[in-house]
Amino acid sequence: MRFATRTFLFSFVPFAFLLMGSFWTIQKLVESTVRNGLRSSLRQTHDSIARVRSKSELQNSRFLRVVGENASLKAGLQLLLLERKSGAARLTVEDQLRDICNMLRFDFLLVSDPDGAALAGVMRIGDQLVAMDIAKVPPPQRGFVTVGPRAYQVASTPIDQGDENLGILSVGEHFDFSEFSTPAVLARNGEVLESSIPGVPFGEVASALKGCKAQSECEVRLRGETYISLPMESIYFGDGYVLRSLQSVDSASGPVQAILRNVFLIAGIGALLAAMILSVLSSRSIVRPIAEVVSYLCASEKTGLLPEFHAKLTPIYEIHELAESFNRAAAAIRDARESLHRAYVEFVGSLASALDARDRYTAGHSSRVSEYSCAIARDISVNDKDLDDIRIGALLHDVGKIGIADCVLQKPGALSREEMDLIQQHPTIGRRILEGVHGFHAYLPAVELHHENSDGSGYPLVSGVIFRMHSACMQPAGILLTTGWAFSFGSLTGQSFLIFGPR
Amino acid sequence: MRMVGMLLAIVVLSTAQAADIEGSVVITRKLTKRKVTAPASSYERGMAVELAPGADEDPLVFERERVVIYLEGQFSSSPITATLEQKNRRFIPETLVVPVGSTVSFPNLDPVFHNVFSLSKPKSFDLGNYAKDHSRTVTFPKPGIVFVHCHLHPNMAAAIVVSPNQWSTKADAAGRFAISGAPSGSYTIVAWHKSAGFFRQAVHLTENRAAAVEFVIPVEEATALARR
Repeated sequence: MRFATRTFLFSFVPFAFLLMGSFWTIQKLVESTVRNGLRSSLRQTHDSIARVRSKSELQNSRFLRVVGENASLKAGLQLLLLERKSGAARLTVEDQLRDICNMLRFDFLLVSDPDGAALAGVMRIGDQLVAMDIAKVPPPQRGFVTVGPRAYQVASTPIDQGDENLGILSVGEHFDFSEFSTPAVLARNGEVLESSIPGVPFGEVASALKGCKAQSECEVRLRGETYISLPMESIYFGDGYVLRSLQSVDSASGPVQAILRNVFLIAGIGALLAAMILSVLSSRSIVRPIAEVVSYLCASEKTGLLPEFHAKLTPIYEIHELAESFNRAAAAIRDARESLHRAYVEFVGSLASALDARDRYTAGHSSRVSEYSCAIARDISVNDKDLDDIRIGALLHDVGKIGIADCVLQKPGALSREEMDLIQQHPTIGRRILEGVHGFHAYLPAVELHHENSDGSGYPLVSGVIFRMHSACMQPAGILLTTGWAFSFGSLTGQSFLIFGPR
Repeated sequence: MRMVGMLLAIVVLSTAQAADIEGSVVITRKLTKRKVTAPASSYERGMAVELAPGADEDPLVFERERVVIYLEGQFSSSPITATLEQKNRRFIPETLVVPVGSTVSFPNLDPVFHNVFSLSKPKSFDLGNYAKDHSRTVTFPKPGIVFVHCHLHPNMAAAIVVSPNQWSTKADAAGRFAISGAPSGSYTIVAWHKSAGFFRQAVHLTENRAAAVEFVIPVEEATALARR
């Protein structure tokens, strides 16, 4: 993986995850806030209902006391207590209860004996007030009473005659959810008796509420919608009865979440794009100096040199330190290389001196050729590297004489044709010797071509070889040494030419 | 003094010839605030009960039928046996006129219990609870208005007018009434309505000639009519 890709991924991916995490957290926070708001709203509704109910219960209790003082009802109850098995007596009291119901618009009226056993009662079904089957009616005192499929809210008052308690009058009103601004459910022992959730059967509501504990808040799913369900705890509804109000979380948080989704979508795409651009830019910013260092090193690798980085290559501290370290290492290598080179040169110099020493006629010849060649080269403004090559090449130019027998090399007097041919092989022999030495390639032309002339004469006449500057410098030096001619250089379009003649 | 008057009346009645009274009762407006009680049978059938008078019922007919007319004065009485039924949680009739000394039976024709009682001065009684097809009787030895109620049904009410003599009657639906066979002489004729009270007029009865009497109830309307 490229460093740029890695840098981009390390910049972008955490940001993307951070962004998604932030959005998720914000969404959850909003949802939590909405839920808390719903809970608070439900509790406030419960409290206000409880306040109204407690006030109305107080009023109803006073009102019921008055109803309990109804003389006819007392007479009827007395009759019924005396004639418990008389249908006519029960009918009489039921008639009385009907009158009271009609007069006071109750939905449920029941008289019980002092022990709470139901004696007679009527209940409103539609427009009719029908007699209750008292055998099936549980003795109500307060809270809810279920008669058949209907639930009634019941309050009771004693019916007293002097000091004697004749019985109990229980008054009920059909329970409805008119006080609730939210959906509500009345359940008894897990069975739903009334529900104001539109379009959902009671059985479905009951199964949804199955997981809820009796008097605790819970969340239910109904028809794919989530509801918060809160039991009404401040009012007693009777054993096993629970009144729960529900609030749809989805309905409440839906609009907010839709807005959030849109905002998150726009902001998310924008932020991701920005993050991507920034990641690319930062990746480039990080990678560029390193890439420059790498390209610089690649270029160095191609040239074989160890150049120094510019001191102001990058403002980044680490990269700057890296360049400086590299420079120091390169300098050390260069020094080592130069030392080695010097050792070579010294060795070569020694070798050349040793060669020169084989012939007293040429003793010191290589050193002098080197010296004069350098002088000529300096005179024609040869650069330092070429000057160095000329100097060393000049020192080594006769190394090939190693391969010439001393009898030929040191022969006094004129050489025969064969001996001359042997002598003329020394440039080629020198080249062969130095070809195998690493780092001496730059001196090969000086060694091989130092006896070739610019006019094509000389030896060994390497075909197609351009007359090199080294030999151009060395040859006049050699001629000078042997003939005492003067010479000078001319320059035309960068190519050096020698113009020389007799001194 | 009162005894002397009574003796005189007896003498007059024993010597005088019989005379008739023909009259009418004019009721100018509705007098009774009615509270209609639904019949028990309605409840038994589980029907919706209309607790208001019928729209086609003439309220003045109701008022006229509840006007009792009688002659004042202690004459010889011929007690009768009358019936005041309890049916559909109402007393039928709601206004009954009987001569003093008469006996009234109170049969219960309803499927429910009734407990008929009266706290009126001429006759107070409490017949106790009794069921359907049972009856109780009460004799009224003193003239006067006896208001009858039911302990169990406060909406039930009736009035028994115990007239001091046998010359008493009720107006019909048209308000007409007739008393026949009364001895000739001068009398006070009384009309009584439960809500409007007593209305008295002097009447002179002569043999073979029917005296005409008209009561305009209530009295303020009567005065206004007289002035026209």
